[in-house]
Amino acid sequence: MHPREGWTEDRRPELRTRRGFLRQCAAAGLLVGGGSSLLAACSGSTPHAAPPATSSLTSGGIPLPRPNNPVTWPLYQDNPAIASGLTPETNATLRLYNWVAYINPDSLKAFGKKYNCKVEVTTFENMDVALAKLRSGQHLGFDVFFPTVDVMGELVYGKLIQPINHSYISNITQAWSDFTNPFYDGKWHYTVPYTIYTTGIAWRKDHVDENPYAMANPWAMPWQAKYKDKVAILDDARESISLGLMKNGIFDLNTTDPAHISAAGRSLAQLARLTNVHIDNNDYTEVPSGQTWIHHAWSGDIATAASYMPKGVNVDVVGYWFPPDGKGPVGSDTITVLKGAPNPVLAHLFLNYMLDVNNVLTNISFNGYMQPINGITPQRLVSEQLLPPSLTSTAVLPSYFRRGVMELQIPTATNALWEQAWLQAKSS
Amino acid sequence: MTGPSRGPGQHRLFWAALAAPGIIWLALLFIVPFYAILAIAGGQLDLFGNPVAVWNPLHWSSANFTGAWHDVAGASAFVGPILLRTVLYVALASLISLLIAYPAAYFVARFAGRRKALFLILLIAPFWISYMMRMLAWIDLLQTSGYVNKVLSSLHLISQPVDWLGGMWITVVLGLVYGYIPYLILVLYAGLDRIDQALIEAGRDLGLGRVRTFLRVTLPMSRQPILTGMLITVLPMLGDYFTNQLLSGTTGTAMFGNVIDDQLTSSGGVLAGQGAVFSLLFLLVLIAPMIYYVVATNRSSRGAT
Repeated sequence: MHPREGWTEDRRPELRTRRGFLRQCAAAGLLVGGGSSLLAACSGSTPHAAPPATSSLTSGGIPLPRPNNPVTWPLYQDNPAIASGLTPETNATLRLYNWVAYINPDSLKAFGKKYNCKVEVTTFENMDVALAKLRSGQHLGFDVFFPTVDVMGELVYGKLIQPINHSYISNITQAWSDFTNPFYDGKWHYTVPYTIYTTGIAWRKDHVDENPYAMANPWAMPWQAKYKDKVAILDDARESISLGLMKNGIFDLNTTDPAHISAAGRSLAQLARLTNVHIDNNDYTEVPSGQTWIHHAWSGDIATAASYMPKGVNVDVVGYWFPPDGKGPVGSDTITVLKGAPNPVLAHLFLNYMLDVNNVLTNISFNGYMQPINGITPQRLVSEQLLPPSLTSTAVLPSYFRRGVMELQIPTATNALWEQAWLQAKSS
Repeated sequence: MTGPSRGPGQHRLFWAALAAPGIIWLALLFIVPFYAILAIAGGQLDLFGNPVAVWNPLHWSSANFTGAWHDVAGASAFVGPILLRTVLYVALASLISLLIAYPAAYFVARFAGRRKALFLILLIAPFWISYMMRMLAWIDLLQTSGYVNKVLSSLHLISQPVDWLGGMWITVVLGLVYGYIPYLILVLYAGLDRIDQALIEAGRDLGLGRVRTFLRVTLPMSRQPILTGMLITVLPMLGDYFTNQLLSGTTGTAMFGNVIDDQLTSSGGVLAGQGAVFSLLFLLVLIAPMIYYVVATNRSSRGAT
């Protein structure tokens, strides 16, 4: 499952797929615990003390990390990292707080076997719900959390995560150099990298005449009335407004310009009128099944297309376009250790484990999403039969993180503009 | 003074004491959440854009109210057509529900005879399965390769599979009908079952035919159950967002509940305050039929005595 993807946002769950099933379970859980998020929202967090400004770009005093505005988050005396050289907890159950279907259960089993512990996963359906729960201050007993990079400020200033003791993370040497001192967490005080992904356009070569690689503006590919009812965009405010921006030639995906934002929203409304556009995050099933021919899509979702092809249809008919020059939306996730984790040593060992190339390959075989580890290349994924040769365009290259554009944390007032534009596009 | 008595005053106290836990429970579950919504509507955003409830009315801000007003009537207003669509869908769904439910309830109440218990169980059966599960079942049935399309094409009614889940208004309306009709049938049954058989027989004895007995006796007497049933189905239909979310994937069928849902689930909850305002407005609108119902019920019960 992709970051920011939530079951509740899905318009058409697939019951018969593994992922779909997991999603249903998440939904059932959602209904049971439906009231908790409201309560958490009501209990309210008192605004955190404004931090020392370490950068010029801020929102209410909180620095906004950008590749050209890297942020090193402060360390606090009352939130220390664990000491070095501790022995792992015994008879322990390491508890992960993760997205739905976002880690290979086999990886967890193998880790449990290696360190003689149990591993349990609790899932959340989106970052907001996860943060609300963590903020509520109740003792949840989670050890490891998988946040997106745009909530780092809240996690650090809210002291929801603890700093990492680097002495346990020897495998950091296996990570791409861009991720050993990332702009969103300088000196990796609090995070290690998890998955990486691009957002592009998936299409069915057997139904669609155009080849996006030959088009002047492939971001405009969905805007074609002749594919009415066969076009879908992602159900995600940031992703889809970004699509509208890029279609209009704007590549600042953190823009605060109201004119650009509302124009992007109007473009999406126009797309809705033109194609009766579907809004869902089921790119990984709909494109293989042929239900959708052009789908605004996440790389890791399309990377798993082969598992969802109907009988007798070759995966070659599925294409994924991402700008070959790397100038498109690219993103990454992180793994962190929660403050108050009952098993901090095991948690550190787990972070280390998930940075090892062999464990990463195991994880990708289930998850679809790549991780920025040396040796994880498109060629390797093809030779390990984790990726069909026709879909190597879904692989993420290190250079993308220098040339790509990222959807990062934006000021609150701007976020409201984005959400409002998205709401209007969705309600057109 | 007389000795200990069991006068009417003490009786009243006794019953009031019995009712108290229920009333307190209801008050807590209505007033507290209602106030929480108000506090979010009048509240603000924290440093990270999360909505923060403001409990003191003196500190409430009007930002969310003006924002909501702009959505309804400002330059960028967009909710008008959605409200209209919501009303149309619900009106149509209620009408279809009534046309299906009334004969069914009428049959069980009047003609089921010894099998009444069986039919009652069948009527209650849908409540054993959660609303969500029943809707999810339709997703499988309605898929392009699902049974509905298979049956229709085997009967040569369609040449190509219909994309029922691709944002068709008829799917949403029928989904609403399917979701809420059990409530309607049950309420209608309870009402029709109470109609005194003797009144109907009197109608027949006085020379009315079957049809005219129905029109002159049964139908007027079912007015109250129909009103109750409509209220019980129309109110939740108006606020429904889940049916739409599952059975349609496009913007073209969005209902008002979906707008509120989108606001509440906006990233960080930046629009949750406006969603709270909309919820309150919705409540105000829905109070009107509620009051009408109460008045009508009072009038008819007074007429009956």
